[in-house]
Amino acid sequence: MAADAAVVVVAAADITGRRDRFGLGWRPELAAGILTNRDRIDLIEIIAEDHVDASRAGLRSLRRLAAQIPVVWHGLSLGLASTVPVDTRRLDAFARLVGETGAESWSEHLAFVRGGGVEIGHLAAPPRSPDSVDAACHNLATARRIVGGAPLVENIASLIDPPASTIGEPEWAAAIVAGSGCFMLLDLHNLYANAVNFGEDPVAYLHRFPLERVGSVHLAGGRWIDGPNGARRLLDDHLHDVPEPVFGLLTELGRLTSQPLTVVIERDGAYPPFADILRELTAARQALAAGRAMRAGIARAA
Amino acid sequence: MSSPALEAFLARLYTDETVLSQFLEEPRAVAAAAGLDAAAIVALCELDRDVLVMTARSYRAKRAAQAKPRQRPSRFWRGRRSAP
Repeated sequence: MAADAAVVVVAAADITGRRDRFGLGWRPELAAGILTNRDRIDLIEIIAEDHVDASRAGLRSLRRLAAQIPVVWHGLSLGLASTVPVDTRRLDAFARLVGETGAESWSEHLAFVRGGGVEIGHLAAPPRSPDSVDAACHNLATARRIVGGAPLVENIASLIDPPASTIGEPEWAAAIVAGSGCFMLLDLHNLYANAVNFGEDPVAYLHRFPLERVGSVHLAGGRWIDGPNGARRLLDDHLHDVPEPVFGLLTELGRLTSQPLTVVIERDGAYPPFADILRELTAARQALAAGRAMRAGIARAA
Repeated sequence: MSSPALEAFLARLYTDETVLSQFLEEPRAVAAAAGLDAAAIVALCELDRDVLVMTARSYRAKRAAQAKPRQRPSRFWRGRRSAP
């Protein structure tokens, strides 16, 4: 109970009154649980690709949903960090969803997803270089113009260090954020996975990202997978609980930042009872509140 | 250095088992045959091949999962003006 009280008392708020918020990725399997627990869930994040071809009836349903709970959209397929210009038809579809539902924001990944006419089927890390920074900024400007608002841009997990990279991932993300004016959706499990997979200290790795530009946070889980010749990687699969070190990173992020954050837990399968998901949301609130409390304590001491 | 050609080659490595096998056998020749520049070829030859295999496997699993029919959005919310 004491921890719950801390959640209420210690939270960041800006001059407009916005506060830290906590939500879930919208999945059909979680819909009933979300809608019967709206008092404990501040918002939902919907995968745009699930609805880009929505009929007028489908859009009405989405508007009704958005009237019940704040909605943000999340994209998977735009490939905004590709050196190939983004497909404006895909952006038109995003603009329709964002506009029709009055969503407050949308987000996409710093990834490429296709090349030479081949669909990879998932997010891939592009070579991190000045060229891909410039290309991403160009694509983000196009996205902002067509959709009507800039997306938050998300760091991705990658098993492989992309070849021909000349810039570290945090510095590459920072350059894109600076060049595009976008805010970041910082996925802390992706960050954690990349850190442990490439021999970095996760907390030190967090410090290198442009934390003052983080608007939203993703939390998720994953598992270790084995490859040939003893190779081992942490895979971000969204099928497991959020691990404790990732909650620790959220506390550290709360300690280091003053802006309100929107935190979303992603789960794509192997769904536990909804009560467990609510407990995970509470753990997220507590983790961020702990960081906010540390920051407040430091400020008082100063 | 990054280019549409390099992204296209990576997309083939991640999705085409034949191209991946050929690349693992003769990385320089396969990358050169794809028309990549010298810097890209050197970078590709330095890739951790075991992790490249893991990466391709991971993408294959993702595509297989996507091929399964997805559950449609629940009627619990689609058909109601307000939830209970």
